[in-house]
Amino acid sequence: MRTFTRIGAALFSVAAFSTALPAAPADSADLQALREQVQALEQQLKVLARQIEIKEEAATAAAPTTPKVTVNDKGFTLASADNANSLKIRGLAQLDSRLFFDDGGGVVNNAFVLRRARIITEGTFAKIYSFQFVPEFGGSSISILDANFSVAVDKALNVKFGKFKSPVGLELLQSDSWTFFNERSIVTNLVPNRDLGVQVSGDVLNGTLNYTAGVFGGVPDAASTNNADFDNEKDLVGRLFYSPFKNDAASFLQGLSFGVSASGGREKTASGRTAGYKTDGQQTFFSYAAATIADGQTWRFSPQLDYRNGPLGLIGEYVVSAVNVRPSATGVKTELQNKAWQVAAGYVLTGEDSSFTGVSPATNFNFEAGTWGAFELTARYSNLKIDDAAFPIYASASTNADEATAIGAGLNWYLSKTVAFKFDYYQTKFGFSPLAPAVSGTQILRQDEKALISRFQVSF
Amino acid sequence: MKLKSLLLTSLALALATGAAAKTIELLNVSYDPTRELYVDYNKVFAAYWKAKTGDDVTVKQSHGGSGKQARAVIDGLQADVVTLALAADVDALYANARLLPETWQKRLPNNSAPYTSTIVFLVRKGNPKGIKDWDDLVKPGVSVITPNPKTSGGARWNYLGAWGYALRKYGSEDAAKEFVGKLYKNVPVLDSGARGSTTTFVQREIGDVAISWENEAFLALKEFGADKFEIVVPSVSILAEPTVSVVDKVARKKGTEAVAKAYLEYLYSDEGQNVAARNFYRPRNAAVAAKYAGNFAKLDLFTIDEVFGGWTKAQKTHFADGGVFDQIYSK
Repeated sequence: MRTFTRIGAALFSVAAFSTALPAAPADSADLQALREQVQALEQQLKVLARQIEIKEEAATAAAPTTPKVTVNDKGFTLASADNANSLKIRGLAQLDSRLFFDDGGGVVNNAFVLRRARIITEGTFAKIYSFQFVPEFGGSSISILDANFSVAVDKALNVKFGKFKSPVGLELLQSDSWTFFNERSIVTNLVPNRDLGVQVSGDVLNGTLNYTAGVFGGVPDAASTNNADFDNEKDLVGRLFYSPFKNDAASFLQGLSFGVSASGGREKTASGRTAGYKTDGQQTFFSYAAATIADGQTWRFSPQLDYRNGPLGLIGEYVVSAVNVRPSATGVKTELQNKAWQVAAGYVLTGEDSSFTGVSPATNFNFEAGTWGAFELTARYSNLKIDDAAFPIYASASTNADEATAIGAGLNWYLSKTVAFKFDYYQTKFGFSPLAPAVSGTQILRQDEKALISRFQVSF
Repeated sequence: MKLKSLLLTSLALALATGAAAKTIELLNVSYDPTRELYVDYNKVFAAYWKAKTGDDVTVKQSHGGSGKQARAVIDGLQADVVTLALAADVDALYANARLLPETWQKRLPNNSAPYTSTIVFLVRKGNPKGIKDWDDLVKPGVSVITPNPKTSGGARWNYLGAWGYALRKYGSEDAAKEFVGKLYKNVPVLDSGARGSTTTFVQREIGDVAISWENEAFLALKEFGADKFEIVVPSVSILAEPTVSVVDKVARKKGTEAVAKAYLEYLYSDEGQNVAARNFYRPRNAAVAAKYAGNFAKLDLFTIDEVFGGWTKAQKTHFADGGVFDQIYSK
């Protein structure tokens, strides 16, 4: 700014002196003096212009090596000039309000909850090596949610080591920031969460087929590894997800993807079977008897589907989760197969595209400008059925439901890509074993669960 | 039969040679004003190497302020050879990154300086400010063009030339410091390299006098016209010895050690020395120097070893962060 001001002052001075020249100079000495002053000013101008030129040359020369710092709705990124190396810091915070209605008044379950609070650190070195480290500060305890390292050999081959999501559940694989609803469906109760292992994955067939195969420590339904799985039994996990029309821009089915995932392993001891299944409102509606232990083969199978077309999004999955259980260390072993399915849909009222990786508002909320961000309506129907053989030996009929059927309706307001309000209403109806008493021993099961979960979310 | 045998043998030889012929690429990281020199030299060397080995050599060039170029190589620029303005910049490749051995300078004749130059003054035709010697550069109202010693090797030679003159004339380090301080007060623009300074003086028409490499001054006359500029030779100046070296670590990795070594050795050949002289560098070869003696002014030259105790000492005293240049120059 100072440089331009000086140039302007020099120009003005030249002009002023030029207009000050008399029509007929008094003597040649005056003329010579004026000439020298003009020459001096011209030199000053040239010097200033050259200084600017040198600065610009230096900036251009430095540009290829100058690291880039970017701060936007994707987080804070520090990257080398050639993008081969980068460090990215992102974050996620979700503050929920949970209100339950018509639950008899005796259940103390209305709450404000810091559902998730994470600092997500990701980095890339030499283009192909990357890491992710995510501590979780939300919920009831601090933990390391993800800690993994990847080598992207090729688009068709990526090798990942460490702790990360097991690739079984479709909705589980979606980021916590971008699911249709605040809480994933009850189907997610039957799939493993984070596990320790090694996995290969990639996109083949011109990017239309994604494959994943891995070896993991093995965790029960809905559980994450506690980093203490010391046994010889490991789970094998595989997934194929096909998008046959992905490269056909004119096709109505371009956004269709479907596939199947499966896992197989063996579990032993009480920690080898799930701690329980939760409703959309995050209340436990089923858990095994305390003495029940897992002992034997476990397997899961899940066909799944995702479809996006403009503002419309659909997701569907079916999961069978089988576990061999005994009522005690010496009791009779039985394989129980618990099954669940869901269909969910979202429609972005403001016209933006629905996406597995979230809705990006065309304009951010700005009251003065009269822009409101993006709005999305959502709906879901889901069901989870416990194997009848679970009752009464492996789980109490009087304190557990044997089925949950849930509907959900929601409104998501994306003020920007970073900030959102989400309002969901869930209603869950419970079914019971024929062996169950007339009135359940668990208070929340005596009536349908009606829950309103509202969320304020910041995600970048 | 004999003819047939001869023809078959020739054919086999030709095929074998053709099959074995390689294409080799070298990167020569050089200082700012050597562009024209190495355009000529690279053609000559390529022809020589092709005749000798059958292989094709392409030499890519990178030019800039000598200090900046050294830093670029330290930071990863894959130079097979460096041909920089001064030994201290090549030393930095060892000190900072062990890219070559500490004894690199002993590997080639004349302390790895195949040609020399000196520092003269380039003035406008008619020498309107009457520049005759270093003292005229510190007079009020004289605008002096010289590059930034922090980035340019030529600028460091310029600075040391002025310092050496003042030390001789005024007799003390303090007086020399005061003299050089006054000189830099007359400098309106600091380019990053010698070529940039030439651009500032010749094309942007800034300044009354440019302190310049001798070869750069001759090039300015050749390219822009002897009717526009003159060279003024000061009473005393410094013997500038640009040095060259193979960057061993890079050449080893790229498999170009033999070619890189030959590339630098050929600078000392008759043909290499003629190319240097034609581009206004003072050749080391006595016969070539005698042939071109008329092109170069005779002047009293001192060396960096004589006055400053060598480049290591000079670099540390004058051009390191917080050194004398930083003390006397402020914007």
